Amino acid sequence: MKMLLVALALFTQVETTPPPPAAPREPQLPKPAEKTLANGLRVIVVQKPGVPIVAVRLLIKTGSEADPANLAGLADMTASLLTKGTKTRSAVQIARGVEALGATLESGGAWDNSFVSLDLMSSNLPKALVYVADIVRNPVFANDEIERLRAQNLDALQVAMHQPRSLAGFVATRVVFGAGQYGHNLGGTPDSLQRIKRADIVAFHRKYYKPNNAILVFGGEITPDKAFALAEQNFGAWKKGEVPASTSAQLAAAPHRIVVIDMPEAGQAAVLVARPGLKRVDPAYSIAQVTNSVLGGGYSSRLNQEIRIKRGLSYGAGSLFDLRRDVGPFTASAQTKNESAAEVAGLIAEELNKLGKEPVADVELGPRKATLIGNFGRSLESSGSLVGRVAYLALYGLSLDEINRYISGIQSVTAQQVEQFAGAHLGASDASIVIVGDAKKFIEPLKKQFPNVEVIPISELDLNSPTLRKR
Amino acid sequence: MNAFLALLLAATVPIAPIQYRHRTLANGLQVYSVEDHAAPTVAIQVWYHVGSKDDPPGRSGFAHLFEHMMFKSTAHMKSEMMDRLTEDVGGNNNASTADDATWYYEAVPSNYLQTLLWAEADRMGSLDVDEANFNSEREVVKEEFRTSVLAPPYGLFYYSIDKDSFAAHPYRRPTIGSIEDLDSSTLADVQKFHTTYYRPDNATLVIVGDFDSKQLDPWVDQYFGAVAKPDLAIPRVSVKEPPRDASKTITETGPNVPLPAVALTWLAPSATSADRYALDIASAILAQGESSRLYQSLIYRQQIAQDVSADDDLREDLGLYVITATVASDKSPEAVLKAIDAELRDIETKPVSAAELAKAKNQLITGRLRQRETNDGKAGALGYSATVLHDAAEVNSGLAKLQAVTAADVQRVVNKYLKDGKSLTITYVSKGGAQ
Repeated sequence: MKMLLVALALFTQVETTPPPPAAPREPQLPKPAEKTLANGLRVIVVQKPGVPIVAVRLLIKTGSEADPANLAGLADMTASLLTKGTKTRSAVQIARGVEALGATLESGGAWDNSFVSLDLMSSNLPKALVYVADIVRNPVFANDEIERLRAQNLDALQVAMHQPRSLAGFVATRVVFGAGQYGHNLGGTPDSLQRIKRADIVAFHRKYYKPNNAILVFGGEITPDKAFALAEQNFGAWKKGEVPASTSAQLAAAPHRIVVIDMPEAGQAAVLVARPGLKRVDPAYSIAQVTNSVLGGGYSSRLNQEIRIKRGLSYGAGSLFDLRRDVGPFTASAQTKNESAAEVAGLIAEELNKLGKEPVADVELGPRKATLIGNFGRSLESSGSLVGRVAYLALYGLSLDEINRYISGIQSVTAQQVEQFAGAHLGASDASIVIVGDAKKFIEPLKKQFPNVEVIPISELDLNSPTLRKR
Repeated sequence: MNAFLALLLAATVPIAPIQYRHRTLANGLQVYSVEDHAAPTVAIQVWYHVGSKDDPPGRSGFAHLFEHMMFKSTAHMKSEMMDRLTEDVGGNNNASTADDATWYYEAVPSNYLQTLLWAEADRMGSLDVDEANFNSEREVVKEEFRTSVLAPPYGLFYYSIDKDSFAAHPYRRPTIGSIEDLDSSTLADVQKFHTTYYRPDNATLVIVGDFDSKQLDPWVDQYFGAVAKPDLAIPRVSVKEPPRDASKTITETGPNVPLPAVALTWLAPSATSADRYALDIASAILAQGESSRLYQSLIYRQQIAQDVSADDDLREDLGLYVITATVASDKSPEAVLKAIDAELRDIETKPVSAAELAKAKNQLITGRLRQRETNDGKAGALGYSATVLHDAAEVNSGLAKLQAVTAADVQRVVNKYLKDGKSLTITYVSKGGAQ
């Protein structure tokens, strides 16, 4: 005790440098258990004791990429309508029954999958899972529910299209993928939503909602045995069937376009640089993660350093690889006052180019890898994000063991790999730029940097058309 | 036992309390800690009992602008050094400003706990921001204002709610401030604000996660114990919000507003009021989930609204009860207001059913449990309870208090605050007519 007191006494002076870290402790990674039911339903369980909470995700391995060309929003409408009535339960009965258990039940369409999610206290899982099985297997898609949802989606779309950042995302999707399977807004467009008929919805459900095209993941305070038994009880009698293989359209070379959507009086401009990125299963997965972490993943990444920290031009700038079954988009973005939109677009392009031209120094690379590894660890803390991570590995046919290889994969990436990868995948000259904002405030400086800019007044925008213009 | 009873009892499953330790240092710092070795990470939070209600006169938004400055240089740290000590080693950090409190938080690999305690104590003890950093970060905050208020179609709508709802209390000033007031702030204001409010006797330190209490206590004593407690008293807001003398209706406008929106507000009690739990339950019954009364009436049956919310936004001095709705296309704000009114008359005149009461309790308790899944969530709950509610034990007792609410309690509070209070109605429409 005295020794300790003496030691403390030496430190009564305030230290002027931070004390160094102690020895690190390795994180304990989850060990998913899995089983495939006789009907082909793959069931995965990640037990995480502690808080009496469970998260459940049921993924149908087909989503908005399967929307027919003129029916953008079909997968999302189909999935959203699951909770709106089954053969034996009305929408109101489903909402009341699930919410009485304190549970949150959601469903919707996404890229490469349609999902149902359930979050609740673990003690209520047996009662609530009955609803999940019922809505997936027995939805009725009543006409009045279809019309109600259509009206709500149209209004929600109106709201999103008046927000510069969300509209820029819709436009960039079309610019990057043209008429391709990822080229539409997954929530649909004002025109496509009007075209979706009940028969389309019923057919989509009949075609894709099969146990052998689905994955059921449980995470949280639940044992694998209990989860497997619940899965069997609720989904065992679900009939398997033929499911069309997911189509993989060859991606046409993306055009390099500079598009401005003129939204007069927009309170800020949304600047987005986008281009095709990678498939989730690409062997360069870890390299892409590290490259993005250097460029625009996290607060201290280069884009945020240059745009926010050094110049005060935005509340935040960043980038993302949205990795999908086929090549998904890479986007880098920032919101800024209209007057500085051109400057921000130039800064993003400059950082994209720079990364492929000079190696990242170790003092930068190490911390950017640490950021990824730390984020990964924290993403396993809550049942919801843990289950999401595991479900996506399964969705893309990756080994669940990947969760144990993530850290070593990130650590093995070299500065040379990042430079080569960025040179091949991130050059700004192959990327498109989309800016939504009050064009008169930035169009002149933008034209000086990018002479081939197209300006489309918001009243002439057509998201259904690869040209983006109403005919 | 029939199914209905089982359902009612579902929420009474015993829930393990958060086992925390509490200490008070000689300089007044409150310290709460929860040891949990599930993952090799630790959450560190410092809650300062100062918020936007303490913005200096003519400086709305200052407490929040100041929060950004706390990531700039101190006597011993360069600008953005907090990121070097967190993000660069696999952690993260951030901060938030609200009306009553400002809190700084980090989640780091647990072997960095001592480093972060040093850093948090260092910026509590001193701040040394230069003019260039001040100016640049002020531009960032102005962009934050544009991102949250000017760019979204309903930004100005939410911005107007506090401003229009409080007559005298500084809660009427939006936390994000205004461009003009941000522009008039000076570097001298920063030093003054730090000296006035950033002191150990105005702060609560919370540590949750993988640490050894025998190590933690000496570190806290060493780093935070060295921060002096100033002699000057901490200024406190003493303005009292007068009761409203009449109901009022106003119109607000914004550019690019696709659908009108409405808000109804009433003055509500302090977050420390015993009525808070019954108000939480009332809000859940009115608007949490698709089986809630307002959702069923406005969105499902009548299809006159695009979304609806009801919230008892309770703060330290007093609160607001706020109902908002976005009007569906081709429907009128009047129809939406009428439908809201009908639901309010109903909940005021008839007790809620046992099933609805049980449902609301299950929803609220599940929400609190989900917050406990992470170290950060637990630390936030403790920091909020200790700082704003002046009662850290509420993290545990709050669950029992929610359980104890009766249908009569719900009816009593909606009558007390909504029926007998005066309402403010805000209708928000597009500047220059329909879009």
